[in-house]
Amino acid sequence: MSAPPISDALYDELVGILGADNVLVDKPARYNRTRVPAPFPVHRWDDHVPDVVVLPTTTDEVVEVVKLANRTRTPIVPRAAGTGLADGAVPLRHGILLDVKRMNRIRDIDMTDRTVTVQPGVNMLKLNEVLQPYGVFYPDNPASYPCSMVGGRIGTSGWSLIGARYGHTKDLVISLEVVLPTGKVIRVGGGAGGKVRKSSTALTLKELFFGHQGTLGIATEAVLELVPRPEAEFAAFFSYSDYDTAYRSCGALSKSGLATLAGVVLFDEWKLDYLRRDDEAYIEQPSDVRCVNAVALYGTDAEVVPAARRVMEIGHDTGGRYLGDEVSQGDWAARHDRYAIPLHGRLRSSGQVVPMSWHCEDAALNYSVLPQVREEWHAIADRYIEGYGIFDDWGMFAYTNGSHAPWGDYLVEIDIGIWEQKLDDENWAAWTRCKTEIAAVALKHGGSITACHGATRAGEVDLVPSELGGAFDVMKDIKRLLDPNNVMNPGKYLFDQAYE
Amino acid sequence: MFGFRLAAQRPPAARRIKDDVIMRFDHVYEVDPDLMQTYPQQDIPAWDTARIVDSRWDHLAWMHQHFADRVVSAGELGLPPDYLGDDAGVTPPT
Repeated sequence: MSAPPISDALYDELVGILGADNVLVDKPARYNRTRVPAPFPVHRWDDHVPDVVVLPTTTDEVVEVVKLANRTRTPIVPRAAGTGLADGAVPLRHGILLDVKRMNRIRDIDMTDRTVTVQPGVNMLKLNEVLQPYGVFYPDNPASYPCSMVGGRIGTSGWSLIGARYGHTKDLVISLEVVLPTGKVIRVGGGAGGKVRKSSTALTLKELFFGHQGTLGIATEAVLELVPRPEAEFAAFFSYSDYDTAYRSCGALSKSGLATLAGVVLFDEWKLDYLRRDDEAYIEQPSDVRCVNAVALYGTDAEVVPAARRVMEIGHDTGGRYLGDEVSQGDWAARHDRYAIPLHGRLRSSGQVVPMSWHCEDAALNYSVLPQVREEWHAIADRYIEGYGIFDDWGMFAYTNGSHAPWGDYLVEIDIGIWEQKLDDENWAAWTRCKTEIAAVALKHGGSITACHGATRAGEVDLVPSELGGAFDVMKDIKRLLDPNNVMNPGKYLFDQAYE
Repeated sequence: MFGFRLAAQRPPAARRIKDDVIMRFDHVYEVDPDLMQTYPQQDIPAWDTARIVDSRWDHLAWMHQHFADRVVSAGELGLPPDYLGDDAGVTPPT
């Protein structure tokens, strides 16, 4: 084993807190916890490697590690599954990487008050396997459902595929225990942070700890919502020969008022071109399949069956053609696990297949601006594809965004393939400029840079102060108040400005 | 532990589906090898392709069962035929 990149004194103190088995300094342990699935400057990998990985199992251990980080002014970066599509879990200044995967206990299943209490290293799929015999379900359903974890969902303020029906992570976490950057432990949520869903006592702090990307603390326990396990699921995919018809149909479907509506997704022409090229469900679809709307319903049988009829009527009456059960049911089931898909792209110059990583630039946008943003985003992508030869446009989708209110705004993504092996300083700089341009379009049209991933990534993070205005100054004050020594994931979200 | 001879596990001959897509196994679409000159496709024995395809169907079925007790199909909704698409496959009512 090579020599640890941390001092003997720091290593010894960490071992004293956690035991030697939970303090890792070998290269595989550190390098495998460097990046996330978001595009990464692979040519500068060493810049982001943590010095040491720690794997606590209890809140007390987290407290002691955080206090040690403060005392020694050592950066500390929390990490759960590392599946985020922003860079929250990527160390910018080396230091201690605190991995919560061994904090994976289900503490309490309360069928009376309908909650489950878990540690942050619990995965939702595994949790729901445990819950199934009880007839209940924790409906936080990201595209990384089989591999992401509750702690990461909190730190990134995750977005759920079925959020229109059940809400997103911030709605589904009733309360949580947080170790603040100084080592102080607090509970936030309704009232004292127990199992109460709604309280009006004083200030609401819970949402402060959603989406901070590991800059404000480490969630060490969470009380989660339990809903009745769905009796029935229905998915319908409709095709359209043009975007305008699909766009209007998407609006009609999302405004249907059906309580079981879990989501409506609009795939644009570029997405269909990509799917027709590389997705088995679409390769042999006729050429007039230019756009698709996907709809999913969940609930009791008595709710879903009549709602499904209404969805089919709306789809038909607004110009959609049902793509059949196999595509509808199969493609919907595949959406619970998009991380399992091997990724390749095509070079525009030759059509040759090359390995590409998947980057999805997301934004929160109102329904009214979707067509215009779509045109501007694809134009930006096209320029960079032509200019650099390492990118590929994998199309856009717009997905109903509001919790229980799917009609007004959308999570909108443009998926871009990047040939990471070709990244160097010039190409990486081009990529970050591309992201800045994409984010600027979202802001120009009154949207937010991100609906679900976070805006910590190089490129778009520079526009965060523009989006937030005076609220960003308040956030910097909060960061400095909670983290006086700037040890908790330093460098993220431009929060270094808080210490200038 | 078991072994196999790759030569005895060669896939069937390819047939062309589209300009840039071929098919060797039914329902398994593959990129035209002419487009995979830079990064050639690795040799996979036929049994392994079958295993991957079967696992995919198992996975989708598992996901359905994981999220709900049953999947409602369009065919059981009692809708007029034109609501179900011209040639779209619809599971009949059970």
